[in-house]
Amino acid sequence: MLQTPESRGLPLPQAEGEKDGGHDGETPAPTASQERPTEEPGAGREEGAAEPALTRKGARALAAKALARRRAYRRLNRTVAELVQFLLVKDKKKSPITRSEMVKYVIGDLKALFPDIVARAAEHLRYVFGYELKLFDRKHHTYILINKLKPLEEEEEEDLGGDGPRLGLLMMILGLIYMKGNSAREAQVWEMLRRLGVHPSKNHFLFGYPKRLIMEDFVQQRYLSYRRVPHTNPLEYEFSWGPRSNLEISKMKVLGFVAKLHKKEPQHWPVQYREALADEADRARAKARAEASMRARVGARPGIHFW
Amino acid sequence: MQGSARRMGVMTDVHRRFLQLLMTHGVLEERDVKRMQKHCYKVHDRNATVDKLEDFINNINSVLESLYIEIKRGVTEDDGRPIYALVNLATTSVSKMATDFAENELDLFRKALELIIDSESGFASSTNILNLVDQLKGKKMKKKEAEQVLQKFVQNKWLIEKEGEFTLHGRAILEMEQYIRETYPDAVKICNICHSLLIQGQSCETCGIRMHLPCVAKYFRLNAEPRCPHCNDYWPHEIPEVFDPEKEREPGISKSNRKSLRSRRH
Repeated sequence: MLQTPESRGLPLPQAEGEKDGGHDGETPAPTASQERPTEEPGAGREEGAAEPALTRKGARALAAKALARRRAYRRLNRTVAELVQFLLVKDKKKSPITRSEMVKYVIGDLKALFPDIVARAAEHLRYVFGYELKLFDRKHHTYILINKLKPLEEEEEEDLGGDGPRLGLLMMILGLIYMKGNSAREAQVWEMLRRLGVHPSKNHFLFGYPKRLIMEDFVQQRYLSYRRVPHTNPLEYEFSWGPRSNLEISKMKVLGFVAKLHKKEPQHWPVQYREALADEADRARAKARAEASMRARVGARPGIHFW
Repeated sequence: MQGSARRMGVMTDVHRRFLQLLMTHGVLEERDVKRMQKHCYKVHDRNATVDKLEDFINNINSVLESLYIEIKRGVTEDDGRPIYALVNLATTSVSKMATDFAENELDLFRKALELIIDSESGFASSTNILNLVDQLKGKKMKKKEAEQVLQKFVQNKWLIEKEGEFTLHGRAILEMEQYIRETYPDAVKICNICHSLLIQGQSCETCGIRMHLPCVAKYFRLNAEPRCPHCNDYWPHEIPEVFDPEKEREPGISKSNRKSLRSRRH
């Protein structure tokens, strides 16, 4: 069913001469030397060479084994490719992806190879698309994709396509939350939005139904956290930044956004500015730590090279 | 690893940014793709010379091959504008949509797709699609909800709507051509010139062969007496103009094309 030569899943040392499709099951009585091109990467063994005088039966058995190995290898590659696509599409919706979803929809009975498949998919995502596959929640086995490309400057902000207006709305809310001391009552959020002409249950031409967008999408995507405020009567709820917001944007950036809206400098709000500076320092430290540990890990594992 | 390095291209942040943006948009016109390519260079490799778009894309595709996806170039059926989308090379069904939409929504799309393929004009009316709402698999859907779902398809560039009627977006044709040809082999129409899937086009009234509007434009260009390539009868429809990227400022059907669409719907 696949149209393209499948042997180029992952680079094989001598994959050059080997074309797929036509050769399967067609191998003529193979000689020892013909067995070499089907080695897995990094294996480097030469099965045929160990026994120069192969019987016909032995040669056929070897060919069958090689064929089975090729097939399994192709199947693994295809599963990795499907997982990459699955993760990309799922991440577009911005909901965290669970391990059980991956197994259910993509990996299936190759479940035992899950760590290997995920590692290869992660490498593709990093090298080809510039995304890092991050284990977001260790307890619930959920993953998200983080954009590793350098963040765009103001002038470089390209049109984000369909996401643009929604993310703008999110920024407004994140800004309000931050300026109000990292949490804002639900009533305050809706009051701000009402002033912008956005009403919770009225269909908006850009955002659809704002209540659904905020309460379901943004909260589910972990951009916002929604919590009950204790000891309130009647019951009140508040919003704060969700973990994904903390990962994808910084307090300084949001303060900059708010400052621009009011045509002022970020320093105009000294409390928030100090807090944003501290946040920047924390992030720089965390980044340095992560890079150091990554270097240590990479140094210890020589085997993961696909290119 | 030497052999494969020769065959596969190299990814830099320029290419990655390009891929990310293309994925965000789903489908882009060539004019916007070129602008986006320049933008990626500006952001990530300011001093480099911008590759020719074809080479740039071929480079990326050689890397994407191992993931069974590619950046595919197509042409809009109504006015021949070149478009690009990231498509799945494996013939799985409506794969990209499958994770985005619920079961009953996917089935609604399938019903609309069948009506579109069976139609003479390549368009299915909103009414006809909505009348099939009771036959959908999965959760029961009301007509009002189905209208919203159809709008979702339009927003996500799977369908195009014109005056209450729906046809396939160029993106859907790019992505699903193989699937459509394999699933509806008896119902699909094929263009006599380019032999690709045909949803909208002109047809010969004598022998019934069909051609895409841009294919008609190219085939009969500068021809004072257009004749059917198959039966040689006089070609009765208005010949559209060949798409000129220099002239095009506003996307959309030019007047001549709109007229020929009308004339085919007897």
